[in-house]
Amino acid sequence: MTNKADVIVVGGGVIGASVAYQLARRGRKVILTEKHDHASGASGSCDTGIFLQSKNAGINLRLALASSELFKGLREELDRDIEYHVKGGMILIETAAELKIMEDFVARQKRTGLQVEIIDRKEASRMQRGLAEHLVAATYSPQDGGVNPIELNLGFAKAARKLGAEILLETEVTGFIMNGGRVEGIETARGPIYAPVVVNAAGAWAPIIGEMAGLHLPIKPRRGQIMITEPVAPYIARGMLSASYIVAKFNADKLKESKSRAVQLGVGLSLSQTQKGNILIGATREFVGYDVRNTHEGIQAILKNAIRLVPGLGSIHIIRTMGGVRPYTPDGLPLVGYVNNLEGYFMSAGHEGDGIALSPVTGKIVADMIVDGKTFMDVSALDPNRFAL
Amino acid sequence: MAENDETVYICRCEEVSREEVEQAIRDGATTITGIKKRTNAGMGLCQGRTCRKLITNMLAGGQDPAKILPPTFRPPVRTVKISEIAEGDEE
Repeated sequence: MTNKADVIVVGGGVIGASVAYQLARRGRKVILTEKHDHASGASGSCDTGIFLQSKNAGINLRLALASSELFKGLREELDRDIEYHVKGGMILIETAAELKIMEDFVARQKRTGLQVEIIDRKEASRMQRGLAEHLVAATYSPQDGGVNPIELNLGFAKAARKLGAEILLETEVTGFIMNGGRVEGIETARGPIYAPVVVNAAGAWAPIIGEMAGLHLPIKPRRGQIMITEPVAPYIARGMLSASYIVAKFNADKLKESKSRAVQLGVGLSLSQTQKGNILIGATREFVGYDVRNTHEGIQAILKNAIRLVPGLGSIHIIRTMGGVRPYTPDGLPLVGYVNNLEGYFMSAGHEGDGIALSPVTGKIVADMIVDGKTFMDVSALDPNRFAL
Repeated sequence: MAENDETVYICRCEEVSREEVEQAIRDGATTITGIKKRTNAGMGLCQGRTCRKLITNMLAGGQDPAKILPPTFRPPVRTVKISEIAEGDEE
C-alpha cells in the first residue's frame, strides 16, 4: 500500500465512494479508508427510492434535481447495472390537515422546478391498486425513481478503483496527523497515510471522525427499520411515501411530544419494489445511538401503518427485516465543505435518508470544491461552519 | 455468468454460482455479509440457511471457518404474513 495521496476519503459508503470516484476522474490520487466494508452502514440498509418529492423546496430539492440529471448517465459511466429507473412516485395523504400541509409543500416545490401535482383518491387508486378507502388525496411526481443502493455504492467504488483510487477496506482510522492548524494525514490500523486534504464521509459515524480532530459535529445516528417481503409479481407500480413520512422527516422535535408510540418512533410509510420483486416497507426514524437492531415494536408499527394505507399488502409475507443508522443533522441538510481553522479538513456527511439520492451530486460538488475551489451551484447552505463546530 | 451443466450453485434461492462467490472474494469480501451484498447470496426465501455454511468455508479458504465473522441474524425466523404481524398482540 502507498501511504501518500492528494486526498484521503474516510468512509466507503455511497457518499465516500462517489467522492472518491469523482476525485479520481479529475486525476487526483485518492486513498479511501473504510472501517468495515462498502454498504455496511446506511448505504446497505435502505430502500431503493430516489424521491424528489420528499425534498424540501430550495437547496434540498435543487440538489436532488441536479443529482437526478447525473443519475441518467451513471449506468454507462460506471459500466454496471445499478437498476436506476424513473417511474414516478406518490405521497399518500390521509387527512384534510395533511392535505393543507402538502398543498403548501407542493406549491413551493413547483417554484423550485419540480413537476408535481395533487391528485384525488380516485386517480391515485387508478395508478396504484390496494390503496385504503380513507385516503383523501395523493401527490404525484413523474420525476421520482429508484436505484439499487448497494450496486450504486459498489459501482462507484469499482469505477474509482479503475481510475487509480486505492480502497482500503477493514481499515479503521485511529487518529489525525496534525501540524499546527493543518491536517497532514490520518493514522490507521495499517499505519499512517498522508494527504493535504481529508474528506470526512463517514455518514452516521462522522462525529467520531470529527472528534479525532477536535470537532463537535452536530450529526447524530438515527435508526431506520425496514421490512423486506418475499418476491412477488409487480405490485408497487411506483415508489410511495405517506404524508406522515414528510412530517416525521422535517419535525423531529414534534415527534417526541406526541403521545402515540408510532409517532414517537417516527413511523412514516415508504414503499418500493426491487427488480427481483421484493417489496421494501419502511420505516422508523429513532434516536437510539448506534443500535441497529430491529425491534418487535418497530416492526409491528411499520407493518400496521403499511396495511392501514395499503391494505392489499396484508397477505404478502415478510422474509427479512433491516435496521441501520442514518446521519441526522438538525436542519436536515448535509455538511459539505472545508471546516474553518482546520486547513485540509473537508466535510461530506449528514445526508440522513437522502444519501443515495444525493450521492452523485455530492461527489461532484466535493470534487469541484477540492479541485477548482468552486462548484456549479450555490452550496453555501451546506457550509459546515453554519454550526458551531 | 455463463451457465451450463457444470454450473455449481451455492445459493439456490437466488441462483448464485460458485464462480460469482469467488469473484466477490476477489473483490474484497471477507464476510458472509460482504458476499451477500456483492452477489445476493443468502437474500432469498431461506435467508442463507443452506448457503451460509458453504460460503463460510469458501471465505475461510482452508483455514478455520470459526474465524469468519458470522452474518447478522434478523427477524423473522420464518416467513410470516404481514397481516399476522400487524394484528399480532392486539388486546
